[in-house]
Amino acid sequence: MEQFFQQLTNGLAVGGIYALIALGYTMVYGVLKLINFAHGDLFTIGAYLGLTLLTSLALTDHVGGFLGVGLLALMVMGLVGIIGMLLERIAYRPLRESPRLSAVVSALGASIFFQNAIMLIYGAKFYVYPQDLLPKIPVYIFGMPVPLMRILILVASVVMMVALYLFVQKTKIGTAIRAAAIDQGAARLMGIDVNRVIMLVFCIGPALGGAAGMMVGIYYGQINFTMGWIYGLKAFTAAILGGIGNIPGAMVGGLLLGVIEALGAAYISIAWKDAIAFFVLIVILIVRPTGLLGERVAEKI
Amino acid sequence: MKKLLSLVGGMSLMLATSAFAADTVKIGLMGPMTGAWAAEGQEMKQVVDMLAEELNQQGGLLGKKVEVISEDDAGDPRQSSLAANRLATQGIVAVIGTYGSSITEASQNIYDEAGIVQVANGSTAIRLSEKGLKNFFRTCPRDDEQGKVAVATIGKLGFKKIAILHDNTSYAKGLAEEAQTNLKGMSIPVVFFDALTPGERDYNAILTKMKASNPDFVFFTGYYPEAGLLLRQKKEMGWNVPFMGGDAVNNPDLVKIAGAPAAEGFSFLTPPLPKDLDTPEAKAFVASFQKKFSTEPKSIYPVLAGDGFRVVTAAIKGAGSAEPAKVSAYLKTTLKDFPGLTGKLSFNDKGDRIGEVYRVYKVDAQGNFVLQP
Amino acid sequence: MKHSERILYPVLFAVLLAAPLVLDRYWLDVLNSVGLYVILGLSLNIILGHAGMFHMGHAAFYAIGAYTTAIINTRYGIPVLWIMPISGLAAALFALVVARPIIHLRGDYLLIVTIGMVEIVRIALINNVFGITGGANGIFGIARPDLFGFKLRQPQHFFYFIWLFVALTVFLFSLLENSRFGRALKYLREDEVAAEGSGINTAHYKLAAFVLGAGWAGMAGTIFASKMTIISPESFSFWESVVLFMIVILGGAGNIAGVILGAFLVVGLPEVFRDLASARMLVYGVAMMFMMIYRTQGLLPPRPRVYSLHTVRETQ
Repeated sequence: MEQFFQQLTNGLAVGGIYALIALGYTMVYGVLKLINFAHGDLFTIGAYLGLTLLTSLALTDHVGGFLGVGLLALMVMGLVGIIGMLLERIAYRPLRESPRLSAVVSALGASIFFQNAIMLIYGAKFYVYPQDLLPKIPVYIFGMPVPLMRILILVASVVMMVALYLFVQKTKIGTAIRAAAIDQGAARLMGIDVNRVIMLVFCIGPALGGAAGMMVGIYYGQINFTMGWIYGLKAFTAAILGGIGNIPGAMVGGLLLGVIEALGAAYISIAWKDAIAFFVLIVILIVRPTGLLGERVAEKI
Repeated sequence: MKKLLSLVGGMSLMLATSAFAADTVKIGLMGPMTGAWAAEGQEMKQVVDMLAEELNQQGGLLGKKVEVISEDDAGDPRQSSLAANRLATQGIVAVIGTYGSSITEASQNIYDEAGIVQVANGSTAIRLSEKGLKNFFRTCPRDDEQGKVAVATIGKLGFKKIAILHDNTSYAKGLAEEAQTNLKGMSIPVVFFDALTPGERDYNAILTKMKASNPDFVFFTGYYPEAGLLLRQKKEMGWNVPFMGGDAVNNPDLVKIAGAPAAEGFSFLTPPLPKDLDTPEAKAFVASFQKKFSTEPKSIYPVLAGDGFRVVTAAIKGAGSAEPAKVSAYLKTTLKDFPGLTGKLSFNDKGDRIGEVYRVYKVDAQGNFVLQP
Repeated sequence: MKHSERILYPVLFAVLLAAPLVLDRYWLDVLNSVGLYVILGLSLNIILGHAGMFHMGHAAFYAIGAYTTAIINTRYGIPVLWIMPISGLAAALFALVVARPIIHLRGDYLLIVTIGMVEIVRIALINNVFGITGGANGIFGIARPDLFGFKLRQPQHFFYFIWLFVALTVFLFSLLENSRFGRALKYLREDEVAAEGSGINTAHYKLAAFVLGAGWAGMAGTIFASKMTIISPESFSFWESVVLFMIVILGGAGNIAGVILGAFLVVGLPEVFRDLASARMLVYGVAMMFMMIYRTQGLLPPRPRVYSLHTVRETQ
């Protein structure tokens, strides 16, 4: 029984990160119906930028632990957000009128480009975040020590998700985003500047991904240029699981995926862990393609 | 039209490169310059290029300059066979490489059919030298030797319940299976045997599961990035069972990733690190590498590639000829106890490196790798 | 055929025929690789180009064909060429089983599922499922093809073998393109609902396209296995599927000549630019984005079919 709870917390912690990255995927898909394959690499860029900024600005020395990391997160989010907007402008906007497939291929191309650009700029080796940025006090849940950072990551994910959800539901711009997600043409007719909305989405989504990358770097310590691939694919699975285009869905999907993985590893086999995750994805898509929380979208004839 | 043009373009490029065949002794280097193991391949190139430069400054080989031609195999068997074919047409005498047993395997037949001597530096699968290929050598040991040493160490330290973890690559799985077989032979029970996925970051689920099987010792046969993460996360869990690694964990970044407190007490097997070799060659090598690249060599496999280069050039010099058959013969029969960067080198009839290469190292509280007696 | 094509094709044919006499083994091997990818590309073309289904898991079928050949050959010693149809069948059966539940999915979702499928296959291969796939080491010692006693060993031999197979593939698939089956596929690619309304059983045709494409890829797997003599899971990753996908899309989905061109570019060009090594992949990525923006339909899009009308004489 203890193992079950242990694995459950493990799963939730990992799931928090998946959820954060999934939020970015889901936002972009919601508005553009595009699977942004480059999202995982934006996550990687976040991790690398975080390290570069950290070492060159030595923030935590000046400002101290939590505040320093917070500032770093804001900077990383800003930078990656800008890169996201550039990506949209260069690789996706020209393809707005083209068949969906072209955008997918362009996204793949962008992903390859980013990955190799990182490799060429930073080199192929593994980079390591400095160790003692945040205190490592274990927090005791059900009598088991859980590192503080894990809880922080989970909390940060939830906070960001709630913030994003409120933003999309309650603010005017958020409503504009939702409108554009439902029908771009009609939204334009309503006077919404769809181009700006899309740019905004491509700023927020990648920013969240970048923040996730930085957090992964700080917590796990080790980053390398291929890390975006696996995280991207998992986060993508999570987004689908929860219902792509649906923000709370991304959260639920992420956490659920993390838990399924952890329990699958514990009770079935570690080596098949990823296969189990993919299998779940396929089953969900066959049985309930809109995901757990998604809405049924009528197919236009 | 386009197809025709590209075909003609390709052919003329080929003709152009072959026209550049100047009077040099050509040695090939095949390694992962791109892809997942780019760090290894790029360092291999640095080492071999540096050694070739030094050799040329000392007068070259048989009166001619040595030219190193490198090709990228991208850590992929298919690219490997293309790279091998490319090198085979460049007039090389021998090739150093590569890293990764299945990648080396894809190139073996090609070099063999072209009559080129191949010295692998990072391929430990046993079957590579069991095929009767006359010109295949390796400066790295085989998985069975490492497995034996691992198990002997475990037995010596008196542990009773062993957990083995690998990462499903051919190297790690091979070593893990070797260890398992040997442990069975010694009647020491293996309570856990499974694989993790490299490239992931979160291994808590795996560690939790391993912990539940209650081992008193864990043998991890994978690579240093994962080893570092495992050590760090196990410490966070508060689990104190000793871990031991195979030679793929040998990299200073291991301590960086794990953090000195977590890495302390971790032991691993490896051919001796250059800093622990007393030979003047090794010391000089590390010094000149440091001077040229502002860092010590990070991984043992590029150093083994350097050894590959040195034995091949020594054999060419010793045999007085760059003919592959003569070089092979020299390596097998005449070259004995050659002072390599990683220890004394001799080859047996299968092309394997003779002698006990593996030593046990432990990480101390400052994060240094300390040779154990 | 257009006039320019009448000259072009025989010239190309002559050039290809003469290639082994002038090229060294490296370039021959590159052409062999290209040829193999042409076969694979054409098999994917049926699914992706003609039927318009977003399929990024083609490497799985390729893998099954290769592994079937490897396993049967190394365990039972049956000559490789005999196993070729069996490999094709195995891949086709696998496609049938796997595609049946997912055939009705919408474009993007189908894409994702195929990605998941190819990853599962790869993981299964690495984990030595059923104990026969050799795990990460793969399978080695596969025999070379044996044609009536003549063993194919050198790149030259394989060159003729592969390119003959290419010619066969092109011939058969052209016939298919212009057959009723081909027309049905094109119709359902353009407008699935209308096709269904016209009485075409879309599910049936889609499934058939999948099975056919898979079967052919399986046979290509046999050629691959016997040429390399060792196969391992690394060769069948998601990345392979991406390469195949690109060949079809960039070359011109739905057009046989386009796919052939695509194979030459995607596989051959990186070899021509080998010296650029690390930057190679970067250029790849940029090229993909560029191509999509400036020429979405690929380099050689399918030409519309031209039918000649007989003028109807007015009756007095």
